[in-house]
Amino acid sequence: MTKAIRPIVLGVLGLLWLAPVYLLIVNAAKLPADYSSAEVWKPAFGGALLDNMRDAWERADLSVTVLSTAIYSLTGPLIGVLIGAGVGFAIVALRLRHGFWWFVFVFGGTVFPIQMILMPLFVGYADAGLYDTRLGLILVYSVISVPFSAFVMRNFFSGIAHHVFEAAVMDGATTWRIFWRIYLPMSGSALVAIFILQATFIWNDLLLGLTLSQSDDVRPIMPALTSLQSTYGGSAMPVVLAGGLLVSIPTVLLFLATQRIFSRGLALGQF
Amino acid sequence: MKTSTKFAIASVAAGALLLTACGDDSDDDGDNTSGGGGAGGGEESVESSGTLSFYTDKAAWEPQFDRVSEVSEDEIGFDLDFTGYSDSDAYTAFIKQSFRTDEKPTLFTWHTGDKLGELVDEGLVAPTSEIWSEAISNGDIPADLEQYYTYDGEQYCVPLHVSYWVMYYNTHVFDEHGLQPPQTWDDLINIADTLAAEGVPAFYQTNILFSFVWFQTLLAGSDPDLYEALATGEASYTDPGVVAAMEQWREMMEAGYFSDPGAADDPQVLLNNGDVAMLNFGTFFTGALNELGMVSGEDYDLFVIPNVDPSLEQTSLIVESGPLCAAEEADDRAEALNYFDWWVTADAQSAWADARGDVSFNPGAEVNDERLADLGEQAGSDDVRLIERYFEATPPSVLTVALDEFGAFVTNPGDPMPHLEAIQAEAEAHWANQ
Amino acid sequence: MTATFAQQEAPAGTGRGSGSGGPRPYRWSAWGFTAPGVLIVAVLLYLPFLWTTFLSFTRYNGLGSPEWAGLDNYQAMFSDPALLTSLRNTALWVAGTIIVPVGFGLLIAVLTYNMRFGAWFRLPFLIPYAISGVAVGVIWSFILQSGGALSQALDTVGVPGADSRWLLDAPLNTFVMILAAAWQASGVNALLFVIGLQSIPKEPVEAARVDGASGWRLFRSILWPMLRPLTTVVVGLSIVASLKTFDVVWVMTQGGPGRSSETLAITMYRETFVDSRYGLGGAVSVFLTVVTLTASIAYLRRQLSERKAL
Repeated sequence: MTKAIRPIVLGVLGLLWLAPVYLLIVNAAKLPADYSSAEVWKPAFGGALLDNMRDAWERADLSVTVLSTAIYSLTGPLIGVLIGAGVGFAIVALRLRHGFWWFVFVFGGTVFPIQMILMPLFVGYADAGLYDTRLGLILVYSVISVPFSAFVMRNFFSGIAHHVFEAAVMDGATTWRIFWRIYLPMSGSALVAIFILQATFIWNDLLLGLTLSQSDDVRPIMPALTSLQSTYGGSAMPVVLAGGLLVSIPTVLLFLATQRIFSRGLALGQF
Repeated sequence: MKTSTKFAIASVAAGALLLTACGDDSDDDGDNTSGGGGAGGGEESVESSGTLSFYTDKAAWEPQFDRVSEVSEDEIGFDLDFTGYSDSDAYTAFIKQSFRTDEKPTLFTWHTGDKLGELVDEGLVAPTSEIWSEAISNGDIPADLEQYYTYDGEQYCVPLHVSYWVMYYNTHVFDEHGLQPPQTWDDLINIADTLAAEGVPAFYQTNILFSFVWFQTLLAGSDPDLYEALATGEASYTDPGVVAAMEQWREMMEAGYFSDPGAADDPQVLLNNGDVAMLNFGTFFTGALNELGMVSGEDYDLFVIPNVDPSLEQTSLIVESGPLCAAEEADDRAEALNYFDWWVTADAQSAWADARGDVSFNPGAEVNDERLADLGEQAGSDDVRLIERYFEATPPSVLTVALDEFGAFVTNPGDPMPHLEAIQAEAEAHWANQ
Repeated sequence: MTATFAQQEAPAGTGRGSGSGGPRPYRWSAWGFTAPGVLIVAVLLYLPFLWTTFLSFTRYNGLGSPEWAGLDNYQAMFSDPALLTSLRNTALWVAGTIIVPVGFGLLIAVLTYNMRFGAWFRLPFLIPYAISGVAVGVIWSFILQSGGALSQALDTVGVPGADSRWLLDAPLNTFVMILAAAWQASGVNALLFVIGLQSIPKEPVEAARVDGASGWRLFRSILWPMLRPLTTVVVGLSIVASLKTFDVVWVMTQGGPGRSSETLAITMYRETFVDSRYGLGGAVSVFLTVVTLTASIAYLRRQLSERKAL
């Protein structure tokens, strides 16, 4: 009996959760002149969706930003995850002295309101020649990923018994090798989770990209997309929604593609 | 270890850069203030073609700027490297901070009033007095506009755009209810009554950002002198005239003339769908309506809002003018000023008005939309008194409080006094500091 | 396999304790692993924040040089009655975030745990996080506007409340925005809980099952204790994120109407960016940071550190 209840409960909740997504899709598929807030639930299918997407794509000139955004979303979290995992490893496995406080120091990076570090960061970047460079953005996106990654990995590693480490040392492995060959492979699902969450965050970042870059081939995609919406008249609502939907496709695919990893039995259990 | 050492080195290097950079900052600041922002620019030779960096908070206008940029490249050899912000506040902060760096904005859009005054005080924007005197004498810029660009007798920046605040209406809704554009305020109220009886809100209003619009219309239409005195701190927000305007506003809300102030829909959509009959907005709004496929004169039309007080001699028309500025210390300051020379000409303005579908400040510019062309002429006549928009006319700190109070007032219409007292308290604090 | 795992949480840096005692053979290596993280965070996050902290003791409008103002900004901040509303709303956000998205995320994780096609059932809750902020803001604005999608739906189903002014009346506006934020955050929390559940070895679970434990008892006695490392992560992150709540509120109400839905982060943004009072905005952000740090340290210390006095 319980077996049947679970999928039903989850299915109903899931549908409820997807209701806003439904609204997003049907309203993105309406002709700009047909859109009305009194009829948001009314279904609409057909060619208008593609037209609206094309319109958003061209208006916001998204094509030039896709490549650089993809670079940031891949490199930033990758570097961030590794550095963060390194911190976690040092604290848990290598028992860094005053580990808790070093952890708090790194974690403190997420505590600062991002809006308040934007302007000093911009000035520093401009003076250091990092403003409007891809390197600069990769750097900042890596840093942004470090505290979260350190937090998750630190706690994840704490679930691995210390004698795994001791046994490896007995076999003559270096700490670098233990990190790289034992701890990281054991943490597959955690690493992937951090990676996709941070990649999505970076893909969707508006503020950092807006403030630290200017030229078309450096600026990420969100600042370009939001130009569709502005006080001084932007695009019609369905076009804005279609644009939002369009740029969400890569991140949704990323989640879809990595689901297998979060299926039961693939993670630590296999070690 | 390899990778991690590399990162360590990279981050140490970055840190060192940033540290030295911070050191430089203070020096820069010193230069800025002690140098008094004198005649920067220098003696370098002026280029005859190239690209000028251009920043704006009107990100949605990118296609239009691109078109003008193409025209300017053809005509004077300079095009614009466009960077758009959609959030005006973040933009303001960014531009201000950029003056401390080497990334000074060659050309940027701004706001008149105290916001431009701040930059002028610090010597950050290039004076444009020569361009102005020439443009006024050959008729490129109407002399009326000069006051908004003048600080201590000198002019700064040139107009980017001019918009008049008028009433847009949905012609189909008017036809359906047998309505004609009003000649007097009473006509307008009659129209609103007719519509209210049919359950159609006559006017659009919102509690975010544009919450000041009806305050501005009602006060400027009943006592324009009082309206202007508020902006300069000579009158109080608790003045009986201001209270009366607020009371009238409340009565109109209670009579059901207004749309829901919390509506999240774009106003152009509401007008297009006939969810509101009329929209009190700047002429830059034409572009948004055309975007929806609405045709001027067929689907929508506009009229100048009649004065609330019919005994006033001139019709109060709210005007908004946004400046295009050049950084005093930008490397290509001279080129930027040359660009201004071109920008104010009728040719450039025809291209701009055409791209934007808006009026131009230059009376010689061709405006394709007939209604807007008429409006432009009307604005220049003696029957009209141009009044600066509340947004620019009011000191920023007072404005922030006022926008919140008006927003709260339209959300829960009630006694206006507490709201006015809150604004007045901020106004007094502001003027006491001056 | 199970042998490689500690049965109970084995918090870091435990065992040898902090400070005195025990040899630390990997001191240099530990430093090598920690340094990159510490350095880049220090340079790119701490350094800029130091500048903000400095500004909080000055008067500065973004132009020219900051003027020293001592504690004036802090005094102004604490004497502003709007700060109280802001604090109250922020407290609501913290409580709401710990209850709704954390609780819901846990529920989703446990329900999909060890279930056929579990990952696919989980997907609907993850998709909201993957959708770009621009679209999410627009969608929720028209769900929550008066007479909007939510009201229309309630009206159709015949549930009372259809005429509520969701975003206009306080504190209702804060409550519904917490739910909107929960829509995005629950899936992420579920994912983190799933990682925790996956790292739990099968044997003790099976053993408990053989002993007849199931449902609530199995969860209470086996899963919940073993989930602790990741629960700490989820709750810790939620505390920080909720104290800094900004985006949702800024998109939907900008803290209004009449400042009624303002959070501390909105107050900070408003003072700094809208009003160009960098000093006052800096003071609010320092205050916010101190609150956030204190709350996180208090929480994490209890969760992460060994029981013995630190």
